[in-house]
Amino acid sequence: MLQTVVINIIRILFLILLQSLVVSRIQLFDGLIFPWVYIFGILMLPFETPRWLTLAVSFIVGLTMDYFSGPIGLHSSACVALGYMLPIVQKLLAPREGYDLTQRPTVQRMGLAWYLTYAGVLTLIHHGWFFFLEVFRFSDFFYQIFHILLSTLATLVLMTIGQYLIYNSKSSQL
Amino acid sequence: MKNILALIQRFYLFLLFIALQILALIFLFKNNNYHQAEFIRHSSDWVGNIYSQRAELSEYLRLGEINDQLSLENAQLRSQAPDNYISIRHDVDSVRDTLTMQRYFYRTAKVVNTSVNREKNYITLDRGWNGGVQPDMGVISGGNIVGVVRSVSEHYAVVMPVLHTDFKASVRLGRFGSFGSLVWRGGDASIADVIEIPKNIPVTAGDTIVTSGYSTFFPANITVGTVVEVDDSDNDYHLIRVRLGADFRKLDHVLVVSDILKEEQLNLINQVEEQDAANSSH
Repeated sequence: MLQTVVINIIRILFLILLQSLVVSRIQLFDGLIFPWVYIFGILMLPFETPRWLTLAVSFIVGLTMDYFSGPIGLHSSACVALGYMLPIVQKLLAPREGYDLTQRPTVQRMGLAWYLTYAGVLTLIHHGWFFFLEVFRFSDFFYQIFHILLSTLATLVLMTIGQYLIYNSKSSQL
Repeated sequence: MKNILALIQRFYLFLLFIALQILALIFLFKNNNYHQAEFIRHSSDWVGNIYSQRAELSEYLRLGEINDQLSLENAQLRSQAPDNYISIRHDVDSVRDTLTMQRYFYRTAKVVNTSVNREKNYITLDRGWNGGVQPDMGVISGGNIVGVVRSVSEHYAVVMPVLHTDFKASVRLGRFGSFGSLVWRGGDASIADVIEIPKNIPVTAGDTIVTSGYSTFFPANITVGTVVEVDDSDNDYHLIRVRLGADFRKLDHVLVVSDILKEEQLNLINQVEEQDAANSSH
């Protein structure tokens, strides 16, 4: 239990540093593609996390990210939306007999198809919320849609690669 | 009863969601000000520290390139040294030079954080009021215009670069050409626009755009960039696309320009304006 908490905190801190020091420096096509991989820390919260805790953690993660990048409140808002939708999406995607306590939302435990749906839907929610709030004008609507879709795809690819790099079937207790 | 409890439980989560969302949006819209946020970020020591260390690391990795730049600039400066000039006036017997006085003073600074892919980008420098930097000073890099200092803390300064949708600077076409305004409309970080140059002035791709020296931010004739495209679909003025001379993705060492006569100039303008206001009220 304590181990799970510590691992999640370390993972979240690591991802925020990775995001602000490395990933945010990657600029593809003049900012058309802008992945936010730090949300991986929220997506990897264990299934049995209470919903209020998911919300609170998301808010704190967003606020910390805000201190590194962008105006205060932007990431917080998008992350809270993500944290609210996360258990709902998990419920929709639940297997018939529900999740058992040893399962984690990883490719290795749940399969690639499940993982891509799960992470894909939630990343799209977060990125959509974030980018529309950031621009807050719908004048170049199609550019924004394109921007959101490409960034979501980039985040998804990076997170999936990260999964294969970090987790293997032996140590998937994390 | 059980249903009601379940309902409340569900509702309570939604309430929590709404509360946190409102809190976040209040933060966002109450100080929806990138340069204020940038300021908080760099006056708070821990985030500033992390970014400074990253800047040091990436600077170390690019030392070769930076050396080349600096030696090039050295060579340019050396060729402008007074020893390289001969006097072509022979009718003066005094050498005490009171004809010129220094107007602009340059300070070096290092870039610790920058962005190019937003609508409102900011650059953070590692020199604040402790190092003599004050708001409204110009910033140049390698002889090219970069931006204007917006706010300073003790050790850091936040610069509004050309790549900011609110940025505007007075420029001219070539050293003696007509005047226009430099603006940026988002998107490509290497291209900005010059507007307000009338259509009867011929402009061709390859022309140089320089600062006009009319504002107190920059000395005259600092390079802005070169014209890449002229769009005449608008009514009275050219829309000139300019490739910026400074590479905003690779800024390291910049110069902060302070105008020694700025206060005198601004005071004089204010004085005249006050007189005009007083006269017109009579």
